[in-house]
Amino acid sequence: MLHMPRRLLAALAVTTAVGGAPALAEMTRSLNVNGTTGLIDLPSGEAQDDAAFTFTTALLGPTTRATISFQFSERLSGSFRFQTWRDWDNVIPGDAKLTDRSFDLRYQILKESRYLPSLTIGLIDFTGEGLFSSEYIAATKGFGDRVKVTAGLGWGRLGTDGSIGQPFGDRPALAESDFGKPNVDQWFRGDAAPFAGVEVKLTDTWTFKGEYSSDAYLVEDGERGQIERNSPFNFGFEYQKGPNTRYGVYSLYGTEVGLVFHLILDPKNRATGGVMGAAPVAVKARPARASDPDAYDGGWVTQPDAGPLLRKNLAKRLAVDGIVIEDLAYTATTAQIRIRNNRIDAGAQAIGRTARALSHVMPASVETFEIVPVVNGIGASKVTIRRSDLEELEFAADNATLLRQRTTISDAGPLPANAIGGDGLYPRFQWSLKPAFRMTEPLKGDLGLRLSASYDIQPGLVLAGSIYGRVIGNVDRTGEPSDSVLQPVRTDSGRYAKYGDPALESLTLAWYARPAADIYSRVTVGYLERMHGGISGEVLWKPVDSQLALGLELNYTKQRDTDGGLGFDEYDYDVVTGYVSAYYDFGNGYVGQLDVGKYLAGDTGATVSIDRVFVNGWRVGAFATVTDVSAEDFGSGGFDKGIRFSVPLNWALGNQSKNSFGATLRPGTGDGGARVDVDGRLYDSIRDYHTDALDPEWGRVWR
Amino acid sequence: MRVLRAALAASLVAALAACGSSKPEASPLGMAVGSVAKATIGRVTARRAPAQAAPAPVTRADLEKFGVPILRAVIPVRSADALLTITDAKGGTLTWSTTDGTTFTQRDGVLIQTRGLGPDLMSAQAPSAAALRTDGGTHQRVYYFLGENDGTTRRSYDCTVTAAGTEEIEIFARAHKVEKFTETCARPQGSITNTFWFEGPVIRKSKQLASGGLGFIDFERVID
Repeated sequence: MLHMPRRLLAALAVTTAVGGAPALAEMTRSLNVNGTTGLIDLPSGEAQDDAAFTFTTALLGPTTRATISFQFSERLSGSFRFQTWRDWDNVIPGDAKLTDRSFDLRYQILKESRYLPSLTIGLIDFTGEGLFSSEYIAATKGFGDRVKVTAGLGWGRLGTDGSIGQPFGDRPALAESDFGKPNVDQWFRGDAAPFAGVEVKLTDTWTFKGEYSSDAYLVEDGERGQIERNSPFNFGFEYQKGPNTRYGVYSLYGTEVGLVFHLILDPKNRATGGVMGAAPVAVKARPARASDPDAYDGGWVTQPDAGPLLRKNLAKRLAVDGIVIEDLAYTATTAQIRIRNNRIDAGAQAIGRTARALSHVMPASVETFEIVPVVNGIGASKVTIRRSDLEELEFAADNATLLRQRTTISDAGPLPANAIGGDGLYPRFQWSLKPAFRMTEPLKGDLGLRLSASYDIQPGLVLAGSIYGRVIGNVDRTGEPSDSVLQPVRTDSGRYAKYGDPALESLTLAWYARPAADIYSRVTVGYLERMHGGISGEVLWKPVDSQLALGLELNYTKQRDTDGGLGFDEYDYDVVTGYVSAYYDFGNGYVGQLDVGKYLAGDTGATVSIDRVFVNGWRVGAFATVTDVSAEDFGSGGFDKGIRFSVPLNWALGNQSKNSFGATLRPGTGDGGARVDVDGRLYDSIRDYHTDALDPEWGRVWR
Repeated sequence: MRVLRAALAASLVAALAACGSSKPEASPLGMAVGSVAKATIGRVTARRAPAQAAPAPVTRADLEKFGVPILRAVIPVRSADALLTITDAKGGTLTWSTTDGTTFTQRDGVLIQTRGLGPDLMSAQAPSAAALRTDGGTHQRVYYFLGENDGTTRRSYDCTVTAAGTEEIEIFARAHKVEKFTETCARPQGSITNTFWFEGPVIRKSKQLASGGLGFIDFERVID
């Protein structure tokens, strides 16, 4: 699994190099019941639109499949599937139900062109227990704009009916000790069998699909007597309702009925078509210097009440956009304003709104605007805009590009000595009581209430805590102790869920600082998360315009009691953990991270992750951690891996808010490779206001 | 799906029904527009309109009472019909606003920016009004939209102006004798046509592209 990210990167390189094939008359690139691009039960050679994020639920006789898929680049996509087999005990006694989680990866080698079909190679369930494992190569060609034909060759499950032989030799059985690891030895081995299908667009909304399947359903039919597979033919109809939803109903294998629902989301485009929210106020033009030289006199600086008055007027204008002034400092020619952006999702827009407000409030002699976005009390960067440029470019063609060329983004620098600090910002107490959803698996989660409070003592110093109580949900609450051979740093979650409800989730004192140029630091003390408390320290080196950032983290933590209270007695477990981290922004929204160090259960190893970050706040990524814990000791899953995503609510609603909905999904939770889950890690909060994040969204500076 | 829906519902509830110490912030609505305008100009009907009873039709006399210039904007794809007042003037560049914080900026009547409509026209390289009433004149026109992933989308066109005769049009019960000009703009992917009705050198009425997502906006200069 460690080599997967490298493959991802290689794939990205190919993608950037080859993109831009001519568009053909297109039918929808539809999904199959497994939530990946394809026919009914089989894959096709096509790919979804770049960045498509899809959620599929399928009910297939006694089987349920729920899948999240993401088109990571134009050619590469990944899926995470949660599958449940019911009637599992029909023949062999045991559990009535079996659940399994699996990952797929597929790569489009060839895009469809005039004479050539699209061609995709894929791995299904390649790191699991192998129940669903298969590999394939599939080609799809459109004929006219109504008919598409797919043909392919499958191995593993997809090679179980109608084999044409074993072109690459025997398929070795998957040893139980290899569960959870990539089944490399099996890939494209064993019997290969052809499959085929056709898709006919009947109307703009209705599609007919038919296929010949090479999956014999050996487990479900032969071994478990779950279904009866009487025919290799599947057929059915799909109905597309709007751009986001698609329904399907099928006849499967001659005996079963299948129902499917797809939710198709496009992170690149808001559901509302664009950013809603009120227009900005126009830039205020200063009188020409020649006509009114007195207006440019800098004498106002000496007036003792100038500062508080300017601050008050600015605060009033910025409050409209949810922007709060942390500090204001000025000379006759330069104003530095430090802002906290509470509402606008794009930093560039908050900067533009602040510059417009400054143009209305600051006396004409002030020519330079320095805007410092502040996160957790620390300046993240300094955006320097000349007031004359703002005036000159307001209505110019391509004003965003022109303004960016004349704008400097640099290290925030120290707080000016003459700064007028916050007005009622420190100390400040805030609290909230909100419904909160905690998702642990595609079909599992808790809906509860979270009471949060924070007390801002001074810039960068904050006391915060939260209590969570569950209302409804279906997460494991058995209270069964973990059978892990490692310290149960994560696997006792059933006990935490049962005994700690409601629980004190966190209660921390955090101190954020910027000790030197390009260096940021954090120290957090207290109940850091539900299961662990102690002290966590972090230092980050991240120049404003650097693609590379380096971090160092050191934690000393004890495992908390399961009752969600203040004690540390139940486990008597303490550990020092720490990591050296490198972050790299590859451009186009791809951000990678490598952490090497010691994890919560005392194991040492490394984590690799890659995320695709969208300007509007969408984020989808995958991670894998390998440590010196053996696969057997780790438990189901073999090593820690998973996917994570975060969907900003403003994307769906079009309003301006920074709330989001997200989850981290793992095929199996073990105790190896676990990290303490502390709030306010530095990289993600700082990056928003550095050039790699501001430049792609710079068009919104004038919004 | 049930869980996802529950999740979305939960988040929505969180967004709507949460309580806490921070007060809801003042809405930006109407900040830029004077109360004069507010009284009559709330005609942004949009989608929720059908549920309400149609307001009594606004007459020219009603509008003239305020003594401020008024522009009418109709956005067909949004079913929006609004009366706008000037909130910023820099030479011939006027920014017209609705009461709900949407703005339209025109340079001598030629649309160069919109704000608050979603897929906004962020800036434009647009011809002068004089160029738009020169029969046979050609020019390049470039639109900059806020497009996919909030990036700036550039669309460049080669345009030709054609005189299309004189007409008599009526705007809020006043007749105007106008000369009609069409500006046909082409690029490899397709072409668009903006239409302008000039009363002397002034654009009295126009149909101008705002952005790919918004389509065309109809403007009528009601009160000078």
